[in-house]
Amino acid sequence: MSNLAPTHEDRLYWPVQRQRNRSLYGLFVVVAAFVALYAYLFPGLLSVAGISKFAQSWLPLALVSMAQAILMLTGGISLAIGATVSLGAVIAATTMMGPLGVPGGIAAVAFSGLGIGALCGVIAIRLRLPAIIVTLAASFIIAGLALLILPRPGGAIPGWFSDLLAGNTPAALILLILAALLWKLYLATPLGLSLYAAGENPVGAYRAGVPVDTARIAAYALSGLLSTLAGLFIAAQTGSGDPVIGNAFTLNSIAAAVLGGVGFLGGRGTMRGAIAGSLLLSVMINVMFFLGFPPVAQYVAQGLIIIGAVALPEITRRFRRAR
Amino acid sequence: MTLQPIIAARGVSRSFFGNPVLQDVSIALLPGRIHALLGENGAGKSTLINLLSGALAPDGGEIAIDGKVLRKLTPSEARRAGIAVVQQELSLTSELSIAENIGLGAFPRRFGLVDYATLARKARAVCALVGLDENLSTPVGDLPLGRRQMVEIAKALFREPRVLVLDEPTSSLSAHEADTLTKLLHRLRQAGTAILYISHRLNEVMRLCDYVTVLKDGKVTADRSLQGVDAAGLVRLMVGRDPGDLFPKWTPGKDCPTIVSVAGFSCGLLRDIDLDIRRGEILGIGGLVGQGQEDLLLGLYGALPASARQAAFNGTQSLPASVSKANALGLAYVPADRKREGLHLIHSIAWNMMLPHFGHASPLRLRDRAGERELARQLADRLSIKGDLTRQVQALSGGNQQKVALAKWMPSDPPILLLNDPTRGVDVETKREIYVLLRRFAAEGKAIVLSSSDTPELVHLCDRVAVMREGGIARMIEHRELSEEAIVAAAMGAEPARSAA
Amino acid sequence: MNGTEDTRFPRWRAASLLRNRAFLTVLIVALVWIVAAFAKPGFGSYGHLRYLLELAAVIGLVAIGQTYVVIAGGIDLSVGAIVTVSAVGVPLVALSGDSSGAFAVIAILAAATGIGLLNGLGVAYLRIHPMIMTLAMATFLQGVLILIAGGTAISAQNPLLAWLGNARIIGIPAGVILWTIVSAAALAVLHATPFGARLFALGANPLASALSGVNVQRTTMAVYAVSGLTAGLAGVLVLGMNGQGYVGIGDPYLLASIAAVVLGGTSILGGSGSYAGTIPGAILLVTITALITVVNASAGWRSILFGSLILLLLLLSGRESQRR
Repeated sequence: MSNLAPTHEDRLYWPVQRQRNRSLYGLFVVVAAFVALYAYLFPGLLSVAGISKFAQSWLPLALVSMAQAILMLTGGISLAIGATVSLGAVIAATTMMGPLGVPGGIAAVAFSGLGIGALCGVIAIRLRLPAIIVTLAASFIIAGLALLILPRPGGAIPGWFSDLLAGNTPAALILLILAALLWKLYLATPLGLSLYAAGENPVGAYRAGVPVDTARIAAYALSGLLSTLAGLFIAAQTGSGDPVIGNAFTLNSIAAAVLGGVGFLGGRGTMRGAIAGSLLLSVMINVMFFLGFPPVAQYVAQGLIIIGAVALPEITRRFRRAR
Repeated sequence: MTLQPIIAARGVSRSFFGNPVLQDVSIALLPGRIHALLGENGAGKSTLINLLSGALAPDGGEIAIDGKVLRKLTPSEARRAGIAVVQQELSLTSELSIAENIGLGAFPRRFGLVDYATLARKARAVCALVGLDENLSTPVGDLPLGRRQMVEIAKALFREPRVLVLDEPTSSLSAHEADTLTKLLHRLRQAGTAILYISHRLNEVMRLCDYVTVLKDGKVTADRSLQGVDAAGLVRLMVGRDPGDLFPKWTPGKDCPTIVSVAGFSCGLLRDIDLDIRRGEILGIGGLVGQGQEDLLLGLYGALPASARQAAFNGTQSLPASVSKANALGLAYVPADRKREGLHLIHSIAWNMMLPHFGHASPLRLRDRAGERELARQLADRLSIKGDLTRQVQALSGGNQQKVALAKWMPSDPPILLLNDPTRGVDVETKREIYVLLRRFAAEGKAIVLSSSDTPELVHLCDRVAVMREGGIARMIEHRELSEEAIVAAAMGAEPARSAA
Repeated sequence: MNGTEDTRFPRWRAASLLRNRAFLTVLIVALVWIVAAFAKPGFGSYGHLRYLLELAAVIGLVAIGQTYVVIAGGIDLSVGAIVTVSAVGVPLVALSGDSSGAFAVIAILAAATGIGLLNGLGVAYLRIHPMIMTLAMATFLQGVLILIAGGTAISAQNPLLAWLGNARIIGIPAGVILWTIVSAAALAVLHATPFGARLFALGANPLASALSGVNVQRTTMAVYAVSGLTAGLAGVLVLGMNGQGYVGIGDPYLLASIAAVVLGGTSILGGSGSYAGTIPGAILLVTITALITVVNASAGWRSILFGSLILLLLLLSGRESQRR
């Protein structure tokens, strides 16, 4: 019998993936229901243009949710996501029209995200400082950097680049799919899988030969990268940079990741859950907007919905037990 | 002909913060030999393992692999040299599948990615060795504790070790799984693997191992073949004196009034159980791992939601709905996993002893510090916990930690004690002290419920033993019929050889 | 018997003071003040230091609840919103025949405590992670506040607030006196009562606490209620000092309260620490802010400086050993 040909017995990757969906079916149903509601309210959604527009409003949140989820999987958290998004936006808006051009601008945004993320990671991991405090302090520093680069909203993004990303094209959706695929690829590497081990049981993982610190610092770097890229996309959407535009994303990224079932203690949850969580949050905001809720009432509803969604499993558990 | 040891430590020493933990210790692991490492808690076993696996560096002495002395052994060098350690504390990730856990840290790769096909093939091979027949894609979080232990062993085998170190591997295994492990170890011995086996269960060691090294207070007190040594002799080497009788003499309790009585009790795994608990006796709870023993204790203690057709608890006619109510009814619970469930490791010994008091005292009344100190000192004296009581509990050895977990209930003098495996991972000397204490409590008229994975303990200490199986009481064995065989037979069900599928 | 007493409970020694995080934070504050007083004329004047203490009083009050919550193993991200609720709420309530303003203040403090209780309810009974529960609460409150108060500032004039904001007793501002009294009570509860001990139990190991008979859920509710109350109190003080409340007035106090707690040596993982460290932590924080303002840099540099200093102080005042 040949050992080279993969036999039926050797199929492992897809069954493992199926197992990871298990706890998410409930979430998928809720997301589908909201998307259906939105499509019912706004039939224009079901067209290339409609989906493109929706994906554009969704993409930044999806990216920052991924950024937050990566960290939460390793047992960390970042309160600097919003500031990093702003930094990405102002770097994009100040470099792309200059000598660097669009490719140079993208590179500058990406490298600054990776670098800042990695630096936060090194400080938190190597110096053994609690992540929540390090990223809190980092949020001040990064926000300050953004203000130094661009003290008030301004700068510019080349028009063709804005049109390409945020015009009447499905570019956002394609980028999102690309991000998800790249994540799958990363999770299929030994370093990617180490995320889970480093998050849940760092001591045991270290003994088993998992590069725990490297996996964690890499997670911070990737998280920074995703955040600045979200900033770049927002700059393309608005056509300019704003040093405080990302502020709301810190909290929303945590909310989306938690809605998607990512746990705070590390090693719990999946990226597809976090992305679904961000979709849920996005659709919710769109539906409320569509129903004519004033922006303020959206805050109220958002607060209630987050609590409701997170508490739902516990409430049903108690209800079942009571019967 | 003498075999070359795969790994040998020669005269190694190691101290922590000025306290010598190992002094001039030598050990040699030979291929094809199962080598037992014995010693009380705190004798330096874990430190020795950490030296052999490169997790710690010795202060003095040398470590040689295949006869070659290494200046510094790092964890990765040790792994490359084929040394695999199965730690007492599991190193698994519950969200990942069995196969991914087995391969973690040593994944087969293709183009930088994890090669899932190869991983599946190799993982399946090692799973077959340890008798894991679950689907390889099952997340480890879904498995019961015993199965996880087997995954941990499979993980070590996956690296095809030349030296396999097992630190108390059977502490959470069922009899069937322990049996599989025994067969596996015999096969590995045949194949020329060097095995270092650490266990507190002496008969297991006597049955399985060829050679023994005994540590006491960081020094080697014996390094010899196991041939012609008896269990009592081993205990003498470990504690440095005659073991005497491990168990205090059993005397029948007289006039044992029922203090707790439940009928139709259900909780977690448990379905419809009838049970009487009497003053003045130790009621043992036995059975394979995970048959509902813990649910029984926690349900009685009000920590898990439970229901009963009829219940009488120390005068009241209902189950305690919460832990506070159970405490008020005179119940106390000592958990099996003292680090997670029993103690506050970062707080001081005295503080831990006061915790139940803090729990039920009126919240805003000022604390009586002098009274607390006095009480803590008395408790420490009574249970012979030595030294500074302001030390953090995590600085204590396992046995002393267990004493603190027991001591904290004594001020309220509860008439009903629920004990969940109180001697797990506890050294022989402390075990003896705990046994004496329990018998004394029973003599004072307390009711004691003792769940244990240690069958001799049930046989020699208990007045009655309820053997649990699949969420029910398979058999209630009275004292005169108690024997290890009877308990094991009841635990395994009608056909003792039945597999635990 | 004296000998055994010493081995069981070793005598207090001066050397242990140097390992005391609260004491170290006091030392850092003293050092910064001395250096600043020499470097910058006017910094060390009584009037300036008094002003700093007044600012620190608000942070210090918010940080009482935050310290409790963090010691008990949680975190409260809604304190900023509760400060705003209280600063905006008092003028709104004080419309009819309540001349002293006491009724309005008490009503709002009760409301703030109620908000805290709701946080506790979510954390204890619905098992929502504290970060999410209090975050959602903050989002919710922010919406409600804008709905009710709109974007304008609301001023409040009543004798109680005026006294809180302006009165001096033997030269000490009323706000600082309020802070001192509440701090003393907070310290006593934390270190000298069973309730305080329960907080340390909860933060170190909730499961073991529950199995030892500590009512985890009720304690959790109480902790968040305390946090709501002290944040509400801080809001009243801010209103008294400012004369008017507006939406967003409490926002800076969220991060400041967490920073003060951590700088004071309380473990963000829960189970250990003291409010005794948070007090100098709060003072340190306003001092840093004041120094940065003195430097006269741009907003960007100020922000960078502030973040870097927090990071630096964190490194100085000892690292969190990783426990998990």
